[in-house]
Amino acid sequence: MSERVDDTGGDERTDPADRNPLAMLFQGDGWRLERRLDTRPVHEMYATLAALVLTALIISLLVILVGVSPLDAFTSLYEGALGSREAGLETLVQATPLILTGLAAAVAFRSGVWNIGGEGQFFAGAIGTWWVYELLPGLPAPLLIIAMFVGAAVAGALWASAASVLLVRYGTNEILTTVMLNFVVLYILSWLLSGPWQSPKTPYFQTERMDEKTFLPRFIDDSRLHWGLLVALAAAVAVHLLTRRTGLGFELRAIGVNKRAAAYKGISVGRTVITVMAISGALAGIAGAGELLGLHHRLQLDIAEGLGFTGIIIALVARLHPAGVVVVAIAFGGLINGATNMQVGTGIPFALVQVIEGVALVFVLLAAVACRYRLKRTVRHG
Amino acid sequence: MDIAEAVAPGDPILVIDNVTKEFPGVVANDSVSIDVNRASIHCLLGENGAGKTTLADILYGVFRPDSGQIRLEGRPLDMASPGDAIAAGIGMVHQHFELVPPMSVIENVVIGTPARQWLDLTEARRRLEEFFADYDVEIDPDAEVGRLSVGEQQWVEIFKTLYFGVEILILDEPTAVLTPQGVTELFAILRRMRDDGLTIILITHKLKEVMDLSDRVTVLRRGRVVDTVATDDVDQLDLARMMVGRDVLLQVDKQRSEPGAPVLEADAIHVESDTGRGALKGLSLNVGAGEIVGVAGVSGNGQNALFDSVVGVRHPHSGTIRITGQDVTTAAPHKIARLGVACVPADRIAQGLMMDFSIKENLVLGNHRSSQFSRAGILNQSQIDAFAAESIESFEIKTPSADQVTRTLSGGNLQKIIMARELYGRPALILAHQPTRGLDIAASEYVRQRLVQERDRGAGVLLMSEDLDEIFQLADRIAVIFDGRIVAMIEPDATSLEEIGMHMAGAGAGAP
Repeated sequence: MSERVDDTGGDERTDPADRNPLAMLFQGDGWRLERRLDTRPVHEMYATLAALVLTALIISLLVILVGVSPLDAFTSLYEGALGSREAGLETLVQATPLILTGLAAAVAFRSGVWNIGGEGQFFAGAIGTWWVYELLPGLPAPLLIIAMFVGAAVAGALWASAASVLLVRYGTNEILTTVMLNFVVLYILSWLLSGPWQSPKTPYFQTERMDEKTFLPRFIDDSRLHWGLLVALAAAVAVHLLTRRTGLGFELRAIGVNKRAAAYKGISVGRTVITVMAISGALAGIAGAGELLGLHHRLQLDIAEGLGFTGIIIALVARLHPAGVVVVAIAFGGLINGATNMQVGTGIPFALVQVIEGVALVFVLLAAVACRYRLKRTVRHG
Repeated sequence: MDIAEAVAPGDPILVIDNVTKEFPGVVANDSVSIDVNRASIHCLLGENGAGKTTLADILYGVFRPDSGQIRLEGRPLDMASPGDAIAAGIGMVHQHFELVPPMSVIENVVIGTPARQWLDLTEARRRLEEFFADYDVEIDPDAEVGRLSVGEQQWVEIFKTLYFGVEILILDEPTAVLTPQGVTELFAILRRMRDDGLTIILITHKLKEVMDLSDRVTVLRRGRVVDTVATDDVDQLDLARMMVGRDVLLQVDKQRSEPGAPVLEADAIHVESDTGRGALKGLSLNVGAGEIVGVAGVSGNGQNALFDSVVGVRHPHSGTIRITGQDVTTAAPHKIARLGVACVPADRIAQGLMMDFSIKENLVLGNHRSSQFSRAGILNQSQIDAFAAESIESFEIKTPSADQVTRTLSGGNLQKIIMARELYGRPALILAHQPTRGLDIAASEYVRQRLVQERDRGAGVLLMSEDLDEIFQLADRIAVIFDGRIVAMIEPDATSLEEIGMHMAGAGAGAP
């Protein structure tokens, strides 16, 4: 172990982390940053905590600029998120689709595939759900619900595959294609909602309301919280088992770490990318089915509202860990509800949610980098 | 002109005074004191991990010492960056070049000079041409650096450094990329530069280079100075003993081989390369069971393409490759691996390992789908743990646990992970590309002995190495690769370093 620090044929020099500009900043002040090889979970915990405190400070400043007391703002935020039983349950309602879109992003990012198309795959899933509903109206309720979820997963997977096939066959950048496919699916949906599937009873771009037998059961009568949460939690467990316990998971992590070495060891990078994208798309698609069957009960253009994109942030803040995704998704769900309350109570615009998400992301990512270093006092000389 | 005469011998230009540098868990330099004489060639000799590169990085301003002092011409230096080092007159050429391939020689040389409104290359061109003329180096200042040979690129690196007017030039393992003839040329010019007053610090672990070139040598072991001696007062064995701290065998015991049926037959294979360099142009080569075929050659002559096409990550567009009699010319890597092909790649970090995986995961990488380690797609953790424990013990991998992340291991231990993994299942063919590059003497000995053991068991070994001593030690037959073809196939007993060198340069008998 000890030899690692010195020369091993100079291979370590190529490690970009050794040339971190952050480290350069700290050179020569009697203090310096040094690379540490032994990152411990405790460090990550403290760093994440520090990131959250910094986020809160920045947000306080913004709130002060708007002319509101940060104390009032955060109190109102808290009350909206967790202040009552209703608020807490509603936070879980918000978190349900976010867990799934977060997992969708996490699983793709884990294998180094940048699927930014969660939003589009969510819509594809919703379209798939409705399509199954139209095709198999006579099915008994439980079977129909299962069939609709399967249809959503397949539709999401197929939509994501459009990008992965292009990537594997032609090397097309998947970031660009997945983003563009988000728009394409929206236009397809607009067409469906203005023609074939449009409800004849309204002038709006929406379908008819679905049959009540397709509604996902609710846990409690007076809350919107539905069984979609169970689906999301099961998906989190499944993703954890997949990545940690299976040969496929081993391979998807391998191509995320080092595609070249994976290829030398007989792992087909192309096939793995296609599989991973299909899984990722399927998860986002399932989120679409859950929202449709649990909350909206009719297909409209505004059922996603950025859930796919927020999933990306959640995955990154959770450092791609499935359990982390669940925790962060619930936190973000609370944020969304809290901000609504804050807007009503203090007049701070709801858009602050996105600012908080963004700032938190930046600090958490910085914290991840900071964990790899330690500040060391150097003896003055010369 | 001749500054060397003007100064008294033994006049130190650079004094390293009691320098200590610690990294987490290791003292890389422990109270190191060295005097470097003006206009001399001073070698820093030591195994990997001895602290040579850390010391050089301190001299070049990359690291600050925790304690101790560097004095140049009696003045204490306090450097926070390589920029400070260059300003003070200390330059360094790294093992891995830091050039911009699509730019011209002259553009590469002026990178790093203070930016002005307009880029004026006339002055730079004049000085560069003067340099090249002085030292009889023939390089076109307008040539694109990416198209130069590796040896020429090294010259560009060296002149780039000298262009800043440094007095002390540090070279980190400069000969790794050169032919024997290239090394001779480089050394001749370095001697002339020394005679013109330049102070040269050369980092190396090759004893022969120290003996050939240096005036004085400092041997480092585990971060401490063992001794600084005048090169004339010692021989190679003395230096080896100082380096390792015990007597060493510079030879590997091995019997004559009894080659059996061919395990690898490459017949007139052509493989294209993206850059145009390193393609195979009709290479033919056989490896029999129970023999080691050593492929000697300057890097960039098709070694990578040969390795890749046998592994299956690149396919020849003509010719055939057979492994144990089966045609695998266009087979996928996992199918080839199943025939019992082990691969030890040249760049173990980029091609061989998942640095962010645990040790045990790397030990089963590629075999993770075998019936021993998984069932119905589910990994069998207890079998993997058992295999990892066994490998760590039998291959003497130094680690506190099999769950340790691979990134924390040293080069020697990384190579042992690869060896343990690749020798699993008694392979019929072993491809070893630079298997001891960057390893210390003990680890190299170990790897070489393992390869000989595998040969004796009956495996065919294709050993590609830029270390000719290694080829001579291990190979039963030597194949010289040049420009994508095997240009000579020679018995090691019936040849000399010089003959191999001629073939490596493409100037052997029968070459056009």
